[in-house]
Amino acid sequence: MCSASMPPAAGTGLEPGFRGVICASFGATGDTAGQHTGVQPRHDLRFKAANPEALSELRSVLERSHVGVRLVLAGPPADIRAAAAAAAECGLQQEELTLLSDETAPRVIYCPHCHATTTTVRPAGSEVQCRGCATSLATTDHFSRRMGAYLGYSAHAEEAS
Amino acid sequence: MTITALPITAHPAVEGGLQLEVTNISPQTESIVSITLADPSGARLPSYVPGSHLVVQYGSGVNAYSLTGSGNGPTEYTISVLRVEDGAGGSVAMHQLGVGDRVYVSRPRSAFAPASTATHHLLIAAGIGITPVLSHARAAADRGTTSSLIYVYRPGAGAHVEEARDLLGPALTECSDRNSFQKVLAEQLMTQSLGTHLYVCGPVAFMDAVLDQARELGWPPARLHSEAFGAAELDDGEPFTVNLVRSGLKLDVPSGASLLETLEKAGKTIPNMCRKGICGECVLPVLRGTPQHRDLYLTDQEKAENTTMMCCVSRSEDPELELDL
Ligand code: FES
Ligand SMILES: [Zn+2]
Repeated sequence: MCSASMPPAAGTGLEPGFRGVICASFGATGDTAGQHTGVQPRHDLRFKAANPEALSELRSVLERSHVGVRLVLAGPPADIRAAAAAAAECGLQQEELTLLSDETAPRVIYCPHCHATTTTVRPAGSEVQCRGCATSLATTDHFSRRMGAYLGYSAHAEEAS
Repeated sequence: MTITALPITAHPAVEGGLQLEVTNISPQTESIVSITLADPSGARLPSYVPGSHLVVQYGSGVNAYSLTGSGNGPTEYTISVLRVEDGAGGSVAMHQLGVGDRVYVSRPRSAFAPASTATHHLLIAAGIGITPVLSHARAAADRGTTSSLIYVYRPGAGAHVEEARDLLGPALTECSDRNSFQKVLAEQLMTQSLGTHLYVCGPVAFMDAVLDQARELGWPPARLHSEAFGAAELDDGEPFTVNLVRSGLKLDVPSGASLLETLEKAGKTIPNMCRKGICGECVLPVLRGTPQHRDLYLTDQEKAENTTMMCCVSRSEDPELELDL
């Protein structure tokens, strides 16, 4: 539904009363560029993950917009689910929301050992090396809204102990 | 004829309801009167959802009228009745009621409820359509949510204008002509926060125009709530065809004839009582096509599902409807 032809609006410079299409994408390269919004004005938001800052920015954008607005969310399933819940709290109706769930979009993995986050394009269930402490992390489907990341756990915990 | 005594028997549509006494009559305009009803013993009456209506018996017939209060712990019910000279007689009989008269009424019924998640209510009323909308405005004020109202009425013929002014202050916009209404409506439809739901009540053509414009401006059905008014205001409607799948029959429903009448003429026996969309007896299952719902019985959600219709008043949005009959 969104088009790449219109340049993304700068920062949060959304004019009050916006009634076009808001495209929010999550993940390093996850984006809504392939979609086109037709003639409707468009506002782009890019977030690394659905962390508290991202969700509060999304909320403030929605609070400034008016009925008639549409929201497109693109990215990993858990991120867009968290964002959809925040949008519903702002009063957005299901019919006003499009979810573009991308199973292969980069995911942010949280390391319980050193608290660093690592971005990976590998699917859930595979292992990724923590960029903080080099622990081999197995990724889970458990998304922490507080961290804005999927929880990783040490893939070889049993062997290590 | 004055109705001074209760009719001998209650109409089936008000069975299980209440026997109330008229405690106040106050003329609103030349043709609209407000009637207040209370339990003769002074007992508290059942609470109701904002936008509810009451089925009231007059003589041997029944009519539905919107309740104008907030519905929260009421000791009286107030309805406003527009006199329709060429109607079925209900409104004329209602206008002859006097203080102390007793009437049979149903329990309040909800078919125009506020959305529980709404943080603002945009209310739009034309003429006597003010009655359920006033109930919404009162309930919103009680609950601490906000509302605004666009009220269209002919100069000198507006009911409840003073109450609306007191209740809403600057959130009330009064319109007396089409052009100023169009302007206000367009502006309001484009400036609502995301917590807003719209409620419209008035003549069918008025409601259709408001809902069409809202949809054009990007309002999805979930935000739109409307209540069609009583049978007296229903227009003849467009002709359509019904396909009775089980009987293998196709019937044409001409403009001006109801689906119920058409089915009866074809020899079908359809249970019915009120024949004006309020009792729920004449419900029919719809297999295909979108009914044009004009009743007061089905809830918003049931109407949106389009799997049932009240054949005494409702028609079809599509050229053909398929019924499980
Ligand atoms: S007969 Fe009462 S709703 Fe149709
Ligand atoms: Zn680590």
